[in-house]
Amino acid sequence: MQPGGPARSALRTPPVQKSRRDGAVPHCCGEPKGVISLITIIWSMNASVCLTLAAINFLVWCKNRETWANLFFSLLAIGTAAFAFCELWMMRAGTPAQFATVLKWAHVAVWLIVVSLVAFVRLHLKAGRPWLAWIVCGLRTLALVLNFLVGQNLNYLEITGLRHISFLGESVQMAEGVPNPWIRLGQLNLLILLIFLADASITAWRRGDRYRALAVGGGAVFFILFSTLQSVLVFWGLVQIPIMASISIVGLVAVMGYELSSEMIRAAQLARKLQESEAGLHEIEERMRLAVEGVDFGIWIRDLARNEIWATDKWRVLFGFPETERLEFDHILQRLHPEDRDAVRLVLEKATEGDGSDEAEFRVVLPSGEVRWIGSRARVEFDGAGKPILVRGVSHDITGRKDAEQETQNLRREIAHVGRISMMGQLASALAHEINQPLGAILRNAEAAEVFLQNASPDLDEIRAILADIRNDDQRAGNVIDRMRGLLKRQDLDKRPVDVGDLVSEVTALVRSDAAARKVKLDEKVPEDLPLVRGDRVHLQQVLLNLILNGMDSLNGMDKKSRRVSVTAHLNGAQTVEIAVSDTGCGIPADKLAHIFDPFFTTKANGMGMGLPISRKIIEAHNGRLWAENRNEGGASFRFTLPIAEKDASK
Amino acid sequence: MSVTVPIVHVVDDDTSFLAAISRLLRANGLSVKTYSSAHEFLTQRDADAPGCVLADLRMPQMNGLDLQSALGQTPNPLPILFLTGHGDIPSTVRAMRGGAEDFLEKRAPKERLFDAVTRALARDSRERGARDRQRELRARFDTLTDRELEVLSHVVQGRLNKQIAGDLGIHERTVKLHRTAITTKLKVQSVAELTRLTQEAVIFPEPVRTFPKGQ
Repeated sequence: MQPGGPARSALRTPPVQKSRRDGAVPHCCGEPKGVISLITIIWSMNASVCLTLAAINFLVWCKNRETWANLFFSLLAIGTAAFAFCELWMMRAGTPAQFATVLKWAHVAVWLIVVSLVAFVRLHLKAGRPWLAWIVCGLRTLALVLNFLVGQNLNYLEITGLRHISFLGESVQMAEGVPNPWIRLGQLNLLILLIFLADASITAWRRGDRYRALAVGGGAVFFILFSTLQSVLVFWGLVQIPIMASISIVGLVAVMGYELSSEMIRAAQLARKLQESEAGLHEIEERMRLAVEGVDFGIWIRDLARNEIWATDKWRVLFGFPETERLEFDHILQRLHPEDRDAVRLVLEKATEGDGSDEAEFRVVLPSGEVRWIGSRARVEFDGAGKPILVRGVSHDITGRKDAEQETQNLRREIAHVGRISMMGQLASALAHEINQPLGAILRNAEAAEVFLQNASPDLDEIRAILADIRNDDQRAGNVIDRMRGLLKRQDLDKRPVDVGDLVSEVTALVRSDAAARKVKLDEKVPEDLPLVRGDRVHLQQVLLNLILNGMDSLNGMDKKSRRVSVTAHLNGAQTVEIAVSDTGCGIPADKLAHIFDPFFTTKANGMGMGLPISRKIIEAHNGRLWAENRNEGGASFRFTLPIAEKDASK
Repeated sequence: MSVTVPIVHVVDDDTSFLAAISRLLRANGLSVKTYSSAHEFLTQRDADAPGCVLADLRMPQMNGLDLQSALGQTPNPLPILFLTGHGDIPSTVRAMRGGAEDFLEKRAPKERLFDAVTRALARDSRERGARDRQRELRARFDTLTDRELEVLSHVVQGRLNKQIAGDLGIHERTVKLHRTAITTKLKVQSVAELTRLTQEAVIFPEPVRTFPKGQ
């Protein structure tokens, strides 16, 4: 790359007078008239390729001022083009003075090439030691200065003559003269540049950027070595060719241009991908919007730091806020049903303190007075310090589901109620007997008293006894009616501590006369020290009543001697009490055991098939379990568990 | 016939009702005995005293209907009146078919109660008379010899002395002697009366079936 490569040959061979070829015209030396010169074509092609690349990369830089690598590449290419032009001019130089002048100006191009190459490698490879880079640039600048100050140029103190040599079938000029000792500075600079490039390539290679290191660093080293080799060969006079460093520099430029353009292709590919993914993103966004609209979700975001709330139009419709109204957290809380307000506030507080997610179902009272059920799910985002900064949420209308749930609950209660009524129907005759018994006694006592009072001197003691009996019997009748009414009342589950012994004896009292009429012996064995259970008295009575009546039904057609239904209870573990209703009937056939708790499954001629399913629902609502089994000694046993009431609740 | 005062036996497991009804019956001049179970009544009652039974239909262990059938097996089957808190058709039918005098609800008007008790006592007295007469007739028939009973069986079938003598392989005069002894022992004047008495005392249950039953 060192211009004036043949200088040494000029040194070695003593300066001679320029050997001018006769008849040679200075401006068109060796150029056959009318024929286009191959050298002119090659060198100007080189220059134009470089200029084209320079223009392209300059435009790239203009579009995006951050791509400094492209700018320096452009300068590199301009320098190369200028150098190629100088080379061509030197080959066609008419006089030694002209040759010297061109050579002098060629050093400006060299300076540009070296400086922009260093900059390009630094920027593009992102490697190379800065101090080496500064030394290279500094030395080259010094060389440029010396080029203008010492001798005719950096190569020659004085060019004494021009020598014609034949090259590519043409005659071109080579200089002969006194070499400039400062040329060594240029050669040193070349060496340091090589070191800088090799170092930068190795760094990039090690970093894993192998392809780029090979293309840029390797390419640069190869072409610079090539041009050096050519200079050396020319210098030693081994070959007789003109300076053609620009050819190898063009190679370097081409490699780097390729590298840069592949970069640009990659960028274009990325851009296309980005475009595609943007289109995809838009598509996803569109689908999301459609989905959100489709399922009637309202989305909201609450910025805790700025105390701002953003919500979709759908959300505003759900909560009854006009589109333009600024949303305030307190206003939204005011929209909530007064009964739900505290619960929601609590959920929100928990979410911002705890795991950051919450779910709530609450009612919203719209300005029109309409009440709407809303299901809401939110997620809190925290900053690095664990402070909540943002809450994102989704809300939707669950009024329909809530209505259906309510409906189901009503229906369940209704069915349980109907179940009780139908059981009471079964018991009607027994209960009438139970009530008529005391009423009959009252009537007979009253009639007897009337008779006694007709006496002239009635027996007042007897009458007092009668009145006391009447009072007792009235109490008895009242108790029966109260028990019945309690069972027939339609009510929600009201769990309280219940004494199992009382529970069992209240139910057996109701069925005792029915049992007697059906010749069923009714036993109850409940230990006195059994803890209280937690449950709804009436519902549990219903279950027991149902199981006892079923047990008695199972004894139909059984031998009179073994007709027995027994109710027992015992502590089952530390947490539950187990109550069993066992009969001495024929048991449950194995194929029916699995179905007896199915609704509408019945083995009775006039059964509804609801007793056991209702009973199981009731026990499950008490967090207990109801199941049936056949006893080894014959007959079936229905067992259920109830949780023990906590100590403090039993007060 | 008997001079002993008829007793109303009240059987009910409900002691309160037992006390009340016995008060009412006593206040109206009746003799009352109370029992809290059918078993107690069956073991404690006077074996052949007159009276009637007032029993609750629904009782544990032995209920009213069981009491009725047990009572029917005894030589002194007192008429039974059922009391019930709330009557149901099957047990009512069974009770009436078993010969119950009446079937009363516990809160039935007292007039109905007393009518029923009066009727039951009257029936007891009537049935007791019939039973006494039958016992007396039986005693009379018991005086007949086997041969006389044999002859009697032919006579009530309307057979002639000659036929009887032929059937039994005895002399016709002997048949006449037997007939005289029979009418004397049974204190009857005519064959018609003899036939009626024989039927009333149910001496020959089988053959007499050809004749219309009852009085």
